Amino acid sequence: MDVLADLVQNTLDGLTAGAAYALLAVGFTLIFGVLRRVNLSYGAAIMFGVYFATWTSQHFQIGLIALALLSIAGAVAGGAYVERLCFSPHYRARDNSRADASSGSIAAMVASFALWMQFEEAAILAMPRHLYSFPPLYEGAPLQLGSFLLRVESIYLLLAAIVVCASLHAVLYRTRFGLAVRAVIDVPVAAQLAGINVSSVFVRIFALASAIGGLAGFLIAASSEQVTPMLGMWSTVKGMLAMMLGGLGSLPGAVVGGLVLGLVEVHSQWFFGPQMRDLIAYLLVFALLVARPAWMTRWTNIRSAS
Amino acid sequence: MAALLEIKDVITAYGRIEALRGVSLQVEQGSITCLLGPNGAGKTTLMMTTAGILRPRSGSIRFMGSEIAGAAPHGIVERGIALVPENRLVFPRMTVLENLRAGAYQRNDRDGITSDIERLFARFPRLRERAGQEGGTLSGGEQQMLSVARALMSRPKLLLMDEPSLGLAPLVVEEIFGIIRELHRDGTTIFLVEQNAHMALRVAHHFYLIEQGRVTFSGDPGSLAEDEVIHRAYLGSAKA
Repeated sequence: MDVLADLVQNTLDGLTAGAAYALLAVGFTLIFGVLRRVNLSYGAAIMFGVYFATWTSQHFQIGLIALALLSIAGAVAGGAYVERLCFSPHYRARDNSRADASSGSIAAMVASFALWMQFEEAAILAMPRHLYSFPPLYEGAPLQLGSFLLRVESIYLLLAAIVVCASLHAVLYRTRFGLAVRAVIDVPVAAQLAGINVSSVFVRIFALASAIGGLAGFLIAASSEQVTPMLGMWSTVKGMLAMMLGGLGSLPGAVVGGLVLGLVEVHSQWFFGPQMRDLIAYLLVFALLVARPAWMTRWTNIRSAS
Repeated sequence: MAALLEIKDVITAYGRIEALRGVSLQVEQGSITCLLGPNGAGKTTLMMTTAGILRPRSGSIRFMGSEIAGAAPHGIVERGIALVPENRLVFPRMTVLENLRAGAYQRNDRDGITSDIERLFARFPRLRERAGQEGGTLSGGEQQMLSVARALMSRPKLLLMDEPSLGLAPLVVEEIFGIIRELHRDGTTIFLVEQNAHMALRVAHHFYLIEQGRVTFSGDPGSLAEDEVIHRAYLGSAKA
């Protein structure tokens, strides 16, 4: 009975962590799925946004919604900087040998790594302490559900993940912009031939992904009530792991991958100790990448067939 | 007749390799013009350069009198050129209807788009039957029709077609060429690349032969040189 109670409580906690991972993975997947580029600076731009909000909150009295908006705005600004420097040179240089897309994607990835370091150094220069407090999302006690505890922050995170995914789905399947995005994901050359301005789609997707990342960063910082420069690396790693678990490039997969990652981490921590938390998660991703089950390769296959 | 498309001394290279080594040709308003040539002669490169996917190193491409060489692909669609690409390239994970809507991406006239889709469904009844199906599930012939229909959704003044008969059964090839004739009858100017020289010469008003990145012959079907042209289109010239 006790084990069962632990399982339920862990599942609640795991879903909370998973909702944060899912949000991070959705932004990451948008960039990877549409541009087919790995943006290592994804988390760093989020951290930049959250630091911008933190700095503002220390100098001015502002509310939570303003903090959220500042985090989003900062992440979008950071994302735009990354897009300009690392990604746009590659899809704008139209020199025909662009057929060699792999070298372009490696250059973009390496460049995004450099900007990640830049963001981290800038954050440390501007705010030299390792840890800053962040205004809490909710100050009351956790909800008591029978013998289980549910943090109110968890509900916010889960709600945010659901709302973001539902809106994203509506944008992708109900709007003209969504049609263009799906066309670019499906067959980029055909999208160009249909008259879609592919680089403008890229820019808007980058902004959208950064905004989702900024929201995720705000929610994560506000529910842990602290920020460190490590938030950048942490966001990139968690987002990437969840994206891999979800099959590399599928949005519903990213959500599922995020939730699974959260559940696996929390259960591992409970049953095998905190040292095992990340280790087991990495092992799982590693095993999946090696085994590549059918549901996982399906997406990548459709990719390469186009 | 006036030239709708005028290509002059176009050189297109992939890195250091020149696929087009100074191509010049014209497509007359209201004609079906055909480009023949063996594999690797540069036919697809010329189509992709005209559509703006590839950028020419030098030379000029004029459409309705204005220069379009090096313009972005969406700008070229906006001016009224649509390409039905080699291997069709339908959107495999989008429905037939969404494929058509994507073809009309630059248009804002809702009613016009709806009535154009209706018109294309009347012309391609198979597409109507499969309207809700994903593009990737269609047969080769159906995908070719979808690719043509998608290109027509932008209401092009000039339709470029790159090997529309590629990989299709003879009966389906007949059907595709029937459609090409119909489109021409409705007033679309067509610039067609084909490996299937026999079929192409039956519909074309004018043809060019391209070999190793250069136009080596041009003429009208029915002229004495036709057998020679067909031979060279399939096999390349004896000297090569």
